[in-house]
Amino acid sequence: MAGTTPTDPASLFREMLGQWENMANEFGANVLKSGEFTRVMHGANAANIKFKEARTDMMEKALDAANMPSKSEIADISARLHRIEATVERIESMLSGQVGGITPSEPPRPKPKRTRTPPAKAAG
Amino acid sequence: MSDGASTGILDQARVEFDRALKRNIKGLGYFTSSAPVLGASPKDRLLQRGTMNLYHYRPMSDEVYRVPLLLIMATTNRGYIFDMVPEQSLVEYLLKAGFDVFMLDWDAPRADEKHLGIDDYVLDFLPSCIERVKQETGEDDFTIVGYCFGGVLSALWAGLHPDAPLKNLVCFTTPVNFSEMEMFQAWSDRRFFDVDRLVDSFGNCPADYLYTAFDMLRPGARIAGNIRLMDNMWNDEFVKSFRMFDRWAADMLPLAGEYFRETTKKLMWNNELYNGTMELGGRRVDLGAITAPFLHVTAIHDHIVPSAASAPLIEMIGSTDKEAVAMKGGHVSLVAGGNAIKRLWPKLTDWLSERST
Repeated sequence: MAGTTPTDPASLFREMLGQWENMANEFGANVLKSGEFTRVMHGANAANIKFKEARTDMMEKALDAANMPSKSEIADISARLHRIEATVERIESMLSGQVGGITPSEPPRPKPKRTRTPPAKAAG
Repeated sequence: MSDGASTGILDQARVEFDRALKRNIKGLGYFTSSAPVLGASPKDRLLQRGTMNLYHYRPMSDEVYRVPLLLIMATTNRGYIFDMVPEQSLVEYLLKAGFDVFMLDWDAPRADEKHLGIDDYVLDFLPSCIERVKQETGEDDFTIVGYCFGGVLSALWAGLHPDAPLKNLVCFTTPVNFSEMEMFQAWSDRRFFDVDRLVDSFGNCPADYLYTAFDMLRPGARIAGNIRLMDNMWNDEFVKSFRMFDRWAADMLPLAGEYFRETTKKLMWNNELYNGTMELGGRRVDLGAITAPFLHVTAIHDHIVPSAASAPLIEMIGSTDKEAVAMKGGHVSLVAGGNAIKRLWPKLTDWLSERST
């Protein structure tokens, strides 16, 4: 770090910033952990959830009227696809282990010996 | 004013002017360049099931310790905190020290995984990974290293499987007395927080809810951090480190809905783990039944898991060979960055090497 002089404004600023951060953290934490803040925060969250539920409901009705799948239906299809993919992957790995005809993409790497011992500690 | 003092002021002014120039030049680069690539140590994915991933890192020495090491990441964040960039990667450090390293890491749970509860993590994901590690290494014994809530999952599993061949258990900043997590306690106050409604409405707990909560733990930190970044824009190392940690902190994962509901009710509201009343899969969790050598490392300046929340763990574990260490640093700087390289990593490898043969 460069040397500082008693009148170095840059270092004074850095010191002030550190002090401000500590103060802001302390003061902010006291405010944020108060029951009043928690009540207001969760009130806002509840309103947000209510709004989201109303919007989802409206959207589902609109999509249903347009004869289109809703988000939850797409999510269901996606989940089914994932399950099918996982099953195919399991079958594939079983086959590659059992059937000689399927060769792995990479040859197996040599495994290290499992005989390592801890380094001797210096006498002291 | 003496000549010496005025020369000092001139020198300081020159340094500040030089930095101001570099700030402007490098500042442009900051906004136009991409962040460093993180988590790039060579590895193979051995298991993938929904949110769960088990990785095996490729050994960096010809001879490794007999006992494999399984890192278990917290469910809220990505595992690359253990593998930032070369020379700043715990994984690389362990590999070079001769450990065979595996990691249980998480992806964001999908919408259809909202039903996953704590028992799915402890009684399904963890045992599946342990079994796969055994298959891969041919060794029955293994070491588990859990970070934050990864430590909670590890302790829950170990408490339910006292006869398993667990060679060592290491926890970093693992909370056990949730009543001492002041801020989270205040925000999850059951009088105001309707966790059922949140989970029933969203399915999974959104990552931005969690990110905001973690951010609010230190209300001044974001502003001060950005001012410090501007001030240090001339310093490449500072900027690189800032970008790595900022990216990791912002890269939060949603939590599976049922898991979040159970965590809130069982741990935040009823403090069941600390009170010894926690049950999973119909069985009581008994941390006192854990007899494997145990190391718990906590951070003195941890603002997420304060010492009062994590310190009682050591007393609750039944092992006779156990050690609690409180190190300088915060929740994240304990495990990654310059502080970790100097303090935690050597301590971990020293402790483990004697117990991994």
